[in-house]
Amino acid sequence: MKKINRITTLSATLIVIAIIATTLINGCKTPEAIASKSGAQLWGENCNRCHNAPDPTTYSDDQWDVTTEHMRQKALLTDVEITKIRTFLKSAN
Amino acid sequence: MKKIILLFVVCFICFNFANGQTDSSATTSGTDEAPNKAKGGATKFLLAGKATVSWTSANTTVTNPDGSTTTTRTNNFSPEALMLMPLVKINNKLFLDAQVEVDANPTGGGAAIKLNEMIIYYRFCPEASVFFGNFSPKYGIYMGVLDDFTNRYATNPIGMNRGPQTQTGIGVQGGVQAGYSKFNYQLYLSNGPQQVIDTTTMGNANLTGQLNYNNYQDNNRNKAVGGSIGFLPFSNSSLQMDVSGQYAAKTGADGTALDSIYPASSTSWAFDLNYYHVFSPVMVRVLAEYNQTTTQNYNYPFSTTDSSGHKSLVIPAFDNRLSGWFAGATVRPSGVESKFLSNLELGCRVGGYTPPKYTDAALANASPAVSPWGENSRTQTTVCLTYWFTWKTPLNFAYDVLTQKDAPTIKTFYTRLIFFF
Repeated sequence: MKKINRITTLSATLIVIAIIATTLINGCKTPEAIASKSGAQLWGENCNRCHNAPDPTTYSDDQWDVTTEHMRQKALLTDVEITKIRTFLKSAN
Repeated sequence: MKKIILLFVVCFICFNFANGQTDSSATTSGTDEAPNKAKGGATKFLLAGKATVSWTSANTTVTNPDGSTTTTRTNNFSPEALMLMPLVKINNKLFLDAQVEVDANPTGGGAAIKLNEMIIYYRFCPEASVFFGNFSPKYGIYMGVLDDFTNRYATNPIGMNRGPQTQTGIGVQGGVQAGYSKFNYQLYLSNGPQQVIDTTTMGNANLTGQLNYNNYQDNNRNKAVGGSIGFLPFSNSSLQMDVSGQYAAKTGADGTALDSIYPASSTSWAFDLNYYHVFSPVMVRVLAEYNQTTTQNYNYPFSTTDSSGHKSLVIPAFDNRLSGWFAGATVRPSGVESKFLSNLELGCRVGGYTPPKYTDAALANASPAVSPWGENSRTQTTVCLTYWFTWKTPLNFAYDVLTQKDAPTIKTFYTRLIFFF
């Protein structure tokens, strides 16, 4: 039984790794529709998923620098997303 | 050790807060620049946090052997907690994220201070950061993600507090765009859980077999390994599905007399999903999670001897496997013209918890039901209504019904206000 569990776990792990590797290889080039998304659009899509999207006037530029870094780590956003969202939020100041 | 770390964090907060009161641009340069535009110094600091106050009214209903019921009622106001989150961006690569929580003493007077998190991140490439410290692993949807003002149900889902919790270790995490989809990941090594071994307490109060996670000092040389992979298949990031888990080969102390029992391994895994979309004018959120923790099954042959020399077993053997699940959805008419209505969010959540079972058939099928740690199977149904004063100031009303097998049903009405700053 233990052996079967280990084999199942190992197989599942390998499948997940294979899916990730395949997707990464195929997806090296970011589609234009994704690359052209604005900071405002990404702000709406990503922030709202867990909490209400914050009002851009909530914080100063320096505070947005800190807050967006916190959210990069908390929500595991991509570098492009967080850079565009930060620029958008700062634009309100 | 905990006191030293807490002292360090408190000093750090005070130092930065004191520095933050000085308008450097006015005192040093003598220019007309606004404080926000002060030049020099790459370090940026923000003291965020939240204050939580609540009012709870609980009805506990016990069904008597003759079929009648007895209800006891309690209600009280409670200043639940004040959490401080010093966030420090040292430069574009280094970042400190900490949480210090001050909990009100439920028996009145005083407070308990605890360190929830203290993590140092180093971002070594756009897609990856190394982190080191006391962190909440991404386990399921709740732990490390929605255990905050983002939990609209006021109460925590049952069965979500027995898997991996805050622990100390090192790891790597990040997010990657892959075509129209996205992945995020976390992989870590930590001190891991320590198994409770109690050789003297009799009955349900004996918590042998439970796991404690937040250990600053490991009890063996083995480290737990854990991680999560999140997959967001749609280009608008509306759906996220995660698989997360942790494995610890040893949960007991090295070199003890009960060494043959203590090394019991522990495996936890969870699957969760989070869906969010606006079907104009209604915003819909759906959350769901299933998690399971299995600790290697040993018979705990602990016995106690009374004054007459009679030996009795402290706890019978049990299959140390537990699981929890929940599913919930909220709707918010965020697109309607009425400001009042657009700030309301209505939700419902159901969940369950299955505790370990005794291996002895007679005990496992006993009536009334008995389980290790006195935790019988239970289900939870929660209906909630939230009013958002601001995007981070929710007022929650929740009605929670906890039904337990052969144990009292508890109906609770919660009112909770969170002031996030």
